[in-house]
Formats: sequence, structure tokens, C-alpha cells
Amino acid sequence: MSEPTSNTDPSNFLSNIIGSSVVVKLHNGVQYGGNLQSIDGFMNVVLEHGKEIAGQTTVKSYGDVFIRGNNGMY
Amino acid sequence: MSTLRTGQQSQEPLDLIRFQLDEFVLVKLRGAREMKGRLQGYDSHCNMVLSEAQEFIFNETDSEPIVKKTEMVFVRGDSVILVSPTTE
Repeated sequence: MSEPTSNTDPSNFLSNIIGSSVVVKLHNGVQYGGNLQSIDGFMNVVLEHGKEIAGQTTVKSYGDVFIRGNNGMY
Repeated sequence: MSTLRTGQQSQEPLDLIRFQLDEFVLVKLRGAREMKGRLQGYDSHCNMVLSEAQEFIFNETDSEPIVKKTEMVFVRGDSVILVSPTTE
């Protein structure tokens, strides 16, 4: 039950990386980079200073972006 | 509450959309569509109601998107990709 490995489970990992800079890749191949503000159990994500990256080039940037969970790959 | 804890407060992503109520948002949708409008409401499925909305339909052939204006529109949550604050 309370294995010592439990501090590396996925939800703990995700709450540990809040505030750090992440890349979220969507099903359509577009990536979003930014500081992870918040994430929930659906994998809905809010990024601060979000940047849209298509291929190698930054296409657009947003102040805050909310990304709906079902679109995220990682 | 066995869901994720964010440390100090449990600010979930959907709580952060609440700050954008009654503001203009850009909603990116499946099928190369975007919607701009004033956010009237939303729910946990990301169903959204926008007023003073403009829909942009992007086309591979045309560089200019097709624009459709609607006074009030409901967007079904499953087609939502992204929500971001915008001007106008």
C-alpha cells in the first residue's frame, strides 16, 4: 500500500513540476511551451507565458493559456 | 480529494478560466477554427457560451479566414483545444 516509491507516482510528479517550464505536445503535433501554472486530474493545463511552437518556429505567444486535457500527449 | 494538490492553494486550471469571465477570450477549436468572444459562462466539459462572438474558419487555400459573427453562441466542450485571453 504505502510503498516508498509512492512519492514518484504520476500525480506527485505533476504537482512537483508546477512552476517549472514545460512543453506540452498536442495530438495535432503542435507544441506549447511555458511555465506550468496549474494542472488537474483531467490533465487540463494552464501555462503562463505560453508559446505555440509548430515545427521549430514559435508561431504565437499568449499571456496565459488553458489547454483542455484530452488534447495533450505529454 | 485525492486529486492533484498544487502546494499552497488548490488552483485548478478551470478555476483560472473563471478570471476570464466577462472578458474577451480566444478559443481554439478542432477543425482549424477559432472563436473570439466575451466569455459568458463555461463548465467542466469546457462547454462555453460566448457573446459578441466571431468565428474564424481557416482554409488551406485562402490566406484569409472566413469570419462569421454571432451575437451569442454555445461551443461544445469536446471541440475545445485551447483558451487564452485576448484583446477586443
